[in-house]
Amino acid sequence: MRHVFETMGTVASIELPSAWASERAELERIFRAVDDRFSLYRPDSELSKVADSRLTLPSASSVLLASYARALEWRAATGGNFTPNRPDGTIDLNGIVKAEAIEQAGEYLTSVGCPQWSINVGGDILVSPTGAATAVTSPAGQLAPALLRAGIADPAAPTQLLCSLELRHPRRAIATSGSAQRGDHIWRGGSFEPAEFVQVSVVANDIVTADVLATTIVAGGQAALDDVTDRWDVDVITVDRAGDLRATPGLVSALASAS
Amino acid sequence: MRTRAILGSILASTSVLIVGYQAGVSVTTSDGTSLTLPVDSAAGTDPNATTTETAPTDSSSGSSSGSTTDSTAPEAAAPETAATGPTDGTYTGSSVSTRFGNVQVAVTISSGSITDITALQLTDDDGRSVQISNRAAPILRTAVLESQSAQVSNVSGATYTTQAYLASVQSALDQAGA
Repeated sequence: MRHVFETMGTVASIELPSAWASERAELERIFRAVDDRFSLYRPDSELSKVADSRLTLPSASSVLLASYARALEWRAATGGNFTPNRPDGTIDLNGIVKAEAIEQAGEYLTSVGCPQWSINVGGDILVSPTGAATAVTSPAGQLAPALLRAGIADPAAPTQLLCSLELRHPRRAIATSGSAQRGDHIWRGGSFEPAEFVQVSVVANDIVTADVLATTIVAGGQAALDDVTDRWDVDVITVDRAGDLRATPGLVSALASAS
Repeated sequence: MRTRAILGSILASTSVLIVGYQAGVSVTTSDGTSLTLPVDSAAGTDPNATTTETAPTDSSSGSSSGSTTDSTAPEAAAPETAATGPTDGTYTGSSVSTRFGNVQVAVTISSGSITDITALQLTDDDGRSVQISNRAAPILRTAVLESQSAQVSNVSGATYTTQAYLASVQSALDQAGA
């Protein structure tokens, strides 16, 4: 069953087996809690209070500090291409907390024993370790993990697909960053030049890695793309300003066949 | 620099092949006989000169090189083939030394057109096989075209606003309960 609700300024689409439909309330609560704590557009969120000095960082909650610490680790790992600090110094954890919320929701579903699920929040997708859709039987007669086929939106025509690929275990997560939908919301080291890539999709084993590295490549361009594909076990497809594509071998081999 | 090296080696091998092919370079067939491929009048350049020119170019001219592979080579072969063109089969080119290492390719020719190009030797400047590289390389849209029509249950895209969601493919899939 597909459950759709608004959260974090976008829309969540969660697929659960019918017997697990009652988990929807808890899932919505998980996303709402993250939204309430980290949204800078909510004046009374904890992060808003840190931003305008109503709350000092040392007295912030352990949850907020953990997210900030994780974002700082990513900043170090990506040479600053991913950063939780706006140019004016404000801490903005938007780049990581949505993925963390998806991760948390996935961990919750696994912990309660939900066998198969997929979570798509604003275009970032995570599927259960067992796959997403109905289980299929392999020719050998064993239960094979079902594949999730995910389309990637075409940045030039958001109502069309650029391509489709299969998320195969352990590649359970795909995230896409770009300027196609919400404007150029990724800071690029103070540069006002248009981004080299208008859209970057990263397939990884976990959703936070996928999301952070997609942002990193949009921010850092070709050099970041090469660095990311050299140092992380991820698959990537990019669309540059001319509309040309680049893809890693793993992504090409994961492309779905027409059916 | 590694991308450039890998990309360069791919371009180098492709240009060696194409230019060599167009310039009428001799290749050796699998049964050891030598065969000269037809000369294309438009390609009077020295293969080695073109290799060094093409290899270090950036990705934008890389894609134009790519389209050369698609369009020029089969056309170059087609007019000549009727009279003297190579018979169908797989031909192995000689090993060519480039700044990226030795490059050797095999071409498969069917009905006067190149239908496949296989790199037999392709190394980058570290001597590491290109095949194990995870680098993202330019691909043509046609390479992903077929996958567009696959049935999908979810769409990944740059984060949409609630309003943009309504017009998105994801919204349609959600309404269909995909």
